[in-house]
Formats: sequence, structure tokens, C-alpha cells
Amino acid sequence: MLNNKKINIFLLIIALGVFIFLPRFLSGYWVRVITTIFMYAVIAQGMNLMSGYMGYLPFGNAMFFGIGAYATAIGMSKGLPFLLVVPLAAITAILFSILLGLPVLRLRGHYFAIATIGMSGAILSVVQNATEITGGAMGTTLPIIDKAPGVVYNYFYLAMLALMVISSLSLHFIIKSKFGFGIRSIKANEEAANSMGINTTYHKVIAWAISALFTSIAGALYAYWMSFIGPDEVFDVMIAVNTIVIMLIGGAGSILGPIIGAFIIELLAEVAWSAFLEYHLAVLGIIIIVIVIFVPKGMVGSISDFTKKRKLRAEKKVTI
Amino acid sequence: MGLQMLVNAILLGGLYALMGIGFSLQWGISGIINLSYGAMVMLGSYISLEFFNFFHIDPFISMIMSGAILFVLGAVIYRGLLQPFLKGGIVFTLILTFAIRLIIENIILKVWSADYRTIRLTYAGSNFQFGDAYVPLIKFLSFIVAGIIIYLTYLFMMKTKTGKGIQAVALDKEGAQAVGIHVEKMYMINFALGTALAGLTGSLWASIYSFSPHLIGIIVGKVFIIAILGGLGNIWGAAAGGLLLGFAEVAGATFLGSQWQEAIGMVIMVIVLLWRPYGLMGKKFFG
Repeated sequence: MLNNKKINIFLLIIALGVFIFLPRFLSGYWVRVITTIFMYAVIAQGMNLMSGYMGYLPFGNAMFFGIGAYATAIGMSKGLPFLLVVPLAAITAILFSILLGLPVLRLRGHYFAIATIGMSGAILSVVQNATEITGGAMGTTLPIIDKAPGVVYNYFYLAMLALMVISSLSLHFIIKSKFGFGIRSIKANEEAANSMGINTTYHKVIAWAISALFTSIAGALYAYWMSFIGPDEVFDVMIAVNTIVIMLIGGAGSILGPIIGAFIIELLAEVAWSAFLEYHLAVLGIIIIVIVIFVPKGMVGSISDFTKKRKLRAEKKVTI
Repeated sequence: MGLQMLVNAILLGGLYALMGIGFSLQWGISGIINLSYGAMVMLGSYISLEFFNFFHIDPFISMIMSGAILFVLGAVIYRGLLQPFLKGGIVFTLILTFAIRLIIENIILKVWSADYRTIRLTYAGSNFQFGDAYVPLIKFLSFIVAGIIIYLTYLFMMKTKTGKGIQAVALDKEGAQAVGIHVEKMYMINFALGTALAGLTGSLWASIYSFSPHLIGIIVGKVFIIAILGGLGNIWGAAAGGLLLGFAEVAGATFLGSQWQEAIGMVIMVIVLLWRPYGLMGKKFFG
């Protein structure tokens, strides 16, 4: 947004410092709200890589959230420590994304979006019916951390913050790398990218695996944080819808966009819940429509448009 | 047992066929994946419920009203909200139609609550025998009505000037424009026709099954499967897709257990998508 790169980095580090010490000044309720915001920012970064940079819309991406959450629940019920379960959950999700991605990523546009919804629904049904392993439609519980609630919430706040920072930074470096240029060329024109010698299948599958990695770790943390998960809740299509809205309002195809979008949408949703309890769905719907009409490029896109215009205007004044 | 299963599958499939056509037309011709389709079907059911409660009008008659109301609603939504964002691509139409779904769902929840509602018709219990199988009269009637509506939609698309215009737009947008067809108007009529079919399905649904806002998401899942199975924008394809889904669900519920009903449809859809992305009856290219 600003022109000077050093000032930008400095500001981001200050913001990070503020967020690290913020829980000391907030009630437990707001700590949980902001943890949820961080979680959505992480999932939105996964969506951002696929949709904002590569032009594929994985509408069923919530399945990786659910897979991460359930892999954690199953692993911990076997007595494994959390820090070992998280990588296992991530690997499970990556394996799923590669196995499903190889056939499904041949599809384009609408068809890809719909196929991922179908797969998400099928996995949900399996989880609901494999009662011996997953606890079925009733859901399943995870061990509760034996500490004061305030300490536990703080712990998950910092873990989610760290996950958000790490995923955003790695996305930043992925996009700047040669692999990232390949991904962006797929969005621009897949046939042309292919004929230029870019292995599009490889790029698409790896991008979806990275997306699955972010989303599944968010799911793993969520499961341990809530200590109870149900299949309808972690495989909810609403997670993907929320994420798409967050990505849109923040600005698809920018690193800061999903983080800003997560703050705007989740805080608005919080207000909608408390102020219009009976109408919160309609209020959310109206907010979405208003956002699409007035900021179709997202906050980051609109702000950079604004600064560009101002710069052009300033330059014109000088030349005249 | 075998014949009864077949009868059940056909009767269920007929309703699914009608349900899928509107969605398929909207997706295939207007290019909009209408995530609010389930909410529109349910709106049709509740409109019939109101007509039944206040004026004791049979759903088979009040379906004309729900069709008309939803036609107007569809036209307004298309003109006011969706048309300006069609160029923005799939993300915008998906999100906007989802927002419309949330608003309609909230209105339904507020006005009619989340409880399951039923319309108790006097002839609801009567049935007749066909070979070894029992055929419930009301399901049979709605199957016939669904068939008539599907045929009328087909006639509209093939015989009337507007219908031919919609076909032309679907075939070649620029070409249609060049010969003087109002492209945006055709898209609007097609979209509104789709929502009207949703309303008609809702009324038929209300005459047979109980309904609640809980069904909204389930219906959207089903129409996706039907439209994909049949090939987008193809009336007879969607009808065949509906029948096929009816068979798959009844067979799946019989042989695997009813808890797998949802998964079977989803799996079939993904397989068809990978094997024939243009649908079982769709053509790879127009013309």
C-alpha cells in the first residue's frame, strides 16, 4: 500500500508485536473471536492460493479442514501427543488432496468447483457413517488441556497467530518463486502456459496440496481448541463460503487481503449476531451483496487503485 | 418387492426431474449456478402452505400462483442483482446467489419457523394397486403433473418465438444478437423460468412430503447432481438425470441403508464429471 518497502515491513512487525501482547488487555470472549479471525485468515490464504492466484475455485475446501480436525481427534484418541498428530493430520490432508486432485484438477471453472463440493459431501457421509472410528454423526471429543481456561485460550491465540503469520509468509515466498509464476500463468491462460513448457498438472496438484496443508493445520488446531467436533460443523460448506467472501472483500490475489478480509467479515458477523440475532443470516446476506456491489476488487485492490490514481494525478500536476 | 422399488424410484425420479430442469436451464443457458435454488423451491412450498391454510386451495392449483410469484422474483433478482456481475465470473454469481439464499432462508425461518410443516390433503392416504405394488395416489398425480410441466417447458422452448430465441442465445450469443434477438432479455426470461420451475416443484413437494428450511441445502445438492448427470441446459437430459438419481437413491437405500443416500448421489456425480463432463445426454459441442 505504501511505497516504501522498509516502512511496510516495519509496520507489519509492529502490528505483529501488538497482536502478541493484545490478549493481556482483552476479555476471554474477544480473545476467542480474534483466534477465530486468525483461523479464517489461514483458511482464506489456502483459498487465495487456489482461486486468487491460480483461478480455480475449490468450493469444497472445507473438507481439508474436516480431515485435519478428524485426523487430530483420531490420533489423540490413540494417545499420541498433539505435536506429533498435527504433522500426521497435515500429511493425511495432503495425500487426500493429491489423490483427489489428480483426476479432479482436469476439470475447469464451474465443473471443478462442483466436483470439490461433491467430494466434500461424500467424505462427510463417510465420516458420519464410520461410527467406530469417528464417533459418527454424534461427533467426537478430544482430551482437554489441564490448565486454567484463560491460559489455554492464550495458548491457542498465539498458535493460531503463528500459523497465520507462517502461512502468509510462505504464500508470499511461494508466489515470488518460479513455482509461483507458473501458478499465476495458469490463471492468465492455461493452454498458453502448457505450451510454454509449464507442467500445469504438477503445478495445480502441488498448489492444491499447499492449500490443503494450510487448511488442515487450521482444522487440527481448531479441533484441539474446541475439544469437541461434529461432522456437520467441520465439513460445513459455510466455512468455504465464508472464506470466499473473506477473500473477496479483502482482495483476491494479495497476501494481506485475506487477513484484512477476515477481520472485517468476522467482526461484522459478530455485530450481526449480537445486534440482529433473529436476522443474522439476512444481515450477512445483505453485507455480502453490498460488498460485491461496492468493493468488487476487495479492500486491498480498491486502496491500491485509489493510491495509483492519486499518484497519477500528482504526476500530471508536476508535468503541467 | 422388486416392482414396488421400481415404482417408488420412478415416482421419486419424476419429482427430481422437474426439480433439476430449472437449475439446469439457469446454469446451462444463463450461465448462473443458482445456489439459492433450494430456497426458491422451499418458498414455493410455503406459498402453497399459505394458500392451503387460508383459502383451502389444493397445492395442485396453488402451484400456478407459486410459479407466477417465483417467476417475477427470479426476473427481479436477475435484472437487479445478477446481470451486472455476470462478467465478473463464477465467484461473483456463486457468492451473490448464496447471499440470496441466506436472505430467503432467514425470511422463511422468521415467518414459518424451523419446524417441519405438512399439507394434509383429504385424499393423502388413498392409493391403488399396480401388479404387486401399491401406488400412492398423490405421488402418482404429482408424477403426472411433473411430466406435463416438463413437456410444456419443452414445447415452450421449441415452438414459441421466445423459446426459440433462448435456444438461439444458448447456441451462439453474438450470432443471436446479430439477427436482432434481445440477448439480455432472453437470459432474464430463462432465469425467471428456472425459478418458476423451482416454485412449481416446491408446491408438488409440499403436497407429498413435509418440508422445513433444513431441506434447502439438501435440495441444492440434489439439483447439482441431476444437472450434471443430464448435461447442462438440456431439458430431457435433466429429466433423465432426475429419474436416474431417483433410481440410485432408492436402490442405495434398499441395498446399502438410507444413511448412504446422500453419498451415493455425490459419488455418481463426481464419476460422471470425470468421465463425461458434458453430461450423460449432453453433447460435447453445440450444433
